[in-house]
Amino acid sequence: MVWWLNRAVGSLFNLIFLPFSSFNPWVAMLVVSLLTALLMLFIYKKTSNQEGIRLVKNRIKARLLEIRLYQTDLRTQLGSQKELLAANLQYLLYNLKPLLVMIVPIFLILAQLNLWFASRPPAPGETFLLKARFIKTVDLERLRLDLETPTGLVVETPPVRIIDEAEVAWRLKVTGPVDEPLVVQVNGERYQKIVPAGKSRLLRVSTVRVKRNLWQELLYPGEKPLPADSLLKQIELRFEPQRLHLLGIGFHWLVAYFLLSIILGLALKGLFRVEI
Amino acid sequence: MSGRKNEEALKRREFLQLVLGTSAGVLLAPGQAFLRTAGRKETGLKVLVLGMDGLDTVLLDRFLQEGKLPHFQKLAASGTYRPLRSSVPPQSPVAWANFITGTNPGGHAIFDFVHRDPGTYLPVFSASESLPARHNLRLGKLNIPLSGGEIRNLRRGRAFWQILEDHDIPATIFKIPSNYPPVETRQRTFSGMGTPDLKGYYGLFNYYTNEYKTVTEEYGGGGRVHDVYVIGNRVEARIPGPNNPFRQGNPETFVDFKVFIDPVNPVAKIAYQDQEFILREKEWSGWKKIRFDFIPTQGVTGICMFYLKEVRPKFKLYVSPINIDPADPALPLSTPESYSRELARKFGPFFTKGLPADTAALENDVLDEKEFLAQDEIVYQESMAMLEEELRNFRSGLLFYYFSNADQRQHMFFRLIDRNHPAYDEKLASEFGQVIEQTYRQMDRALQLAMEKVDRNTVIVVMSDHGFCPFRRGFNLNTWLLRNGYHVLRPGTRPEEVSLFQGTDWSRTRAYGVGLNALYLNLKGREAQGLVRPEEKEPLLRELAQKLEQVTDPLTGERVILKAYLTSEVYSGAYVHEAPDIILGFNRNYRISWNSPLGSFPRELIEDNPQKWSGDHMTAPDLIPGVLLASRPARLEQPALEDVTAGILTMFGVKIPPEVTGRPLF
Repeated sequence: MVWWLNRAVGSLFNLIFLPFSSFNPWVAMLVVSLLTALLMLFIYKKTSNQEGIRLVKNRIKARLLEIRLYQTDLRTQLGSQKELLAANLQYLLYNLKPLLVMIVPIFLILAQLNLWFASRPPAPGETFLLKARFIKTVDLERLRLDLETPTGLVVETPPVRIIDEAEVAWRLKVTGPVDEPLVVQVNGERYQKIVPAGKSRLLRVSTVRVKRNLWQELLYPGEKPLPADSLLKQIELRFEPQRLHLLGIGFHWLVAYFLLSIILGLALKGLFRVEI
Repeated sequence: MSGRKNEEALKRREFLQLVLGTSAGVLLAPGQAFLRTAGRKETGLKVLVLGMDGLDTVLLDRFLQEGKLPHFQKLAASGTYRPLRSSVPPQSPVAWANFITGTNPGGHAIFDFVHRDPGTYLPVFSASESLPARHNLRLGKLNIPLSGGEIRNLRRGRAFWQILEDHDIPATIFKIPSNYPPVETRQRTFSGMGTPDLKGYYGLFNYYTNEYKTVTEEYGGGGRVHDVYVIGNRVEARIPGPNNPFRQGNPETFVDFKVFIDPVNPVAKIAYQDQEFILREKEWSGWKKIRFDFIPTQGVTGICMFYLKEVRPKFKLYVSPINIDPADPALPLSTPESYSRELARKFGPFFTKGLPADTAALENDVLDEKEFLAQDEIVYQESMAMLEEELRNFRSGLLFYYFSNADQRQHMFFRLIDRNHPAYDEKLASEFGQVIEQTYRQMDRALQLAMEKVDRNTVIVVMSDHGFCPFRRGFNLNTWLLRNGYHVLRPGTRPEEVSLFQGTDWSRTRAYGVGLNALYLNLKGREAQGLVRPEEKEPLLRELAQKLEQVTDPLTGERVILKAYLTSEVYSGAYVHEAPDIILGFNRNYRISWNSPLGSFPRELIEDNPQKWSGDHMTAPDLIPGVLLASRPARLEQPALEDVTAGILTMFGVKIPPEVTGRPLF
């Protein structure tokens, strides 16, 4: 069920980003921020009490004016402060419903954007870590483990088995284009993991494949979940984090996304007559 | 290591706290203002100077005759090949300062690696000084610096690239020694020898092991051993960082890390902060970033390398000195400041510590010869890659480019080409006896790269600051002064237990030695407890010089000191009064001992040097000249370092300023 939802949302993002794959990633970020701003304005308008918000904002303004005008009248001042507090609480209450509705699409969007902007796939010659995490009850020293690497990948080290963390890690090196997934063999069972690669400036990079679990699947929507009865809990590729660079400053994608969405949302609210 | 050596190390540590404790505050120094690079005047002529530290004429001659250095041969045949007179004394910071300023130490005030504070008689670093923030706000355990600290370059006199800048001639100066922090200029410069690690030391490695091991935390560097336990195939330890200027007492910062060892395979995963990587036994990690936080919003970033020396039976992990991160420098590395970041963007992290090869790790058997060379090979490869890039961008003016490898490897491997050296080892010599020759060949490849990349309008100059000779025997200057009545200890003091002149009776002491070639009089009006009256100075100096030049080694019958230079006679310039009174020019095979320079009085007057640091350059400069090769014929038969400076200025048509004492080379 979650997998099908992830697939649908993933396909939508593939479609949105397709025209921008060769552009500077900021372009795609700007587009997705704009779409988010529009979606959020729409949700806000439809789920909030627009008239109530308008009235309560007017009340807040009025109380602020009152405070300014009657600076020498202590009684009026205290009364205005009380009314101002009440109006603010009312305003927050009006916002609660649209925010709760917005959380759902925002969560799905963030999980998708994490795939596109968080990590950079290694270039040929670079190395990365592959970590396989198992359920706690597995005896790692007795486990039959093997790694099948596709063309373009070589395993550089023997596995490091960390017993008390139920983890096995290898170092891999990219030697050329990688077109096939790698395979982790556990007691004869084969589990695939996509190794994202490519030269495009904007790439969908799924670094984690998780076991079937609602929250985990929502957080890491890039690949079909591992079977529920698998000894493996997750397979992870440790890639270098990616930053969005502007004027010599590297921005975390999350910061860029929230800043742009908020700025665009505020800029467009008048156009769509949304009272925020 | 003996107990006595341990004790000395502790005393040195106390001393280091005194000298280096201020460095933490300096980390908060405000960044240099953004500097526009110098005017880009298109010069018809271009000059490329390759500074190859420590290239020796005797060895170069030999390898040239054997036909092993074809590009040096070609350059020599096309223009000039001469010995290049070094400085008095021929130590790198002094010699390169001669070249930078075109004058002698009297004009630039760098006389030795180490100077002394006449107020305390304690050694101080000669090249730079760190000053903490002047004003601090104390809130409980918090200490909030209200102003930035300061780092001062103590070299005086103007650098030749500043003079070129006056004439709008562009220059790029890459890692020239004696330029930390880089002097203010609009030229592109990157600091070299003298640049500290992130802790403010000249290089302090960390070594994690469950084997009994001690190492020396030397004057300004060395290493630390951390005893660790392997429990459940896991090691937990910490990497020490700079002192925290935001806490009362400036405690040391740490980063915790974990090592997970595979139960069977010789391989381990290392994890700290957001870093995770796997190393096989005997493998280097490459550069890794590490961040030391002072308070939640303030911290500094460094870079270091890990080397997993052994997994079992004993666990041994080496962590290199933490270099300043060129991508986010906590201390000033370059002018303009953006030059450092520009290099980091192109090449990723790279060595920024002044002397990158970890000679202390080899000296203390933490790294063996092969491991040391593997590390220094990384230094060489980085240098070559950056040289290629600089040559690609070299369109006008001057490019100076520095290599440290020949100097560092000759220091550590001379024992393996000198059968008479106390540390000569037949087996090691068979394996590593060719290292020095191979290094000269690598320098030849650097020259080849330069010759291939430059155009016909480029004059190529290859120069070294000094040559090299074996360091077989060490002379204890302070012991000699003590025995001859020039230095007096308080009654009851055991001379061999003294360090940093603790126990000296300054009211009866007339002379003392600090640094690697320097002797000072305890002069009235200059030293805190001066004894020698100004009118007694000259005769006393002549008496000392004469006696020192007569010292012979009973083991070999050779003179130990070839020439004791009176600085009043060999130096000129505005800072002669700051100079030591006598500079010792040792004979070939001799040098100051290991303990005398820091105010100790070992039992033996002259002792064998059993250490791996076996080649050196503290003799009379005539014995170990540097080399000069140029693609243009030189006018001078016996050029000196400062003549190269004058030569560069005249090639660009710049009038030689009066403070430059060098003569035009070309």
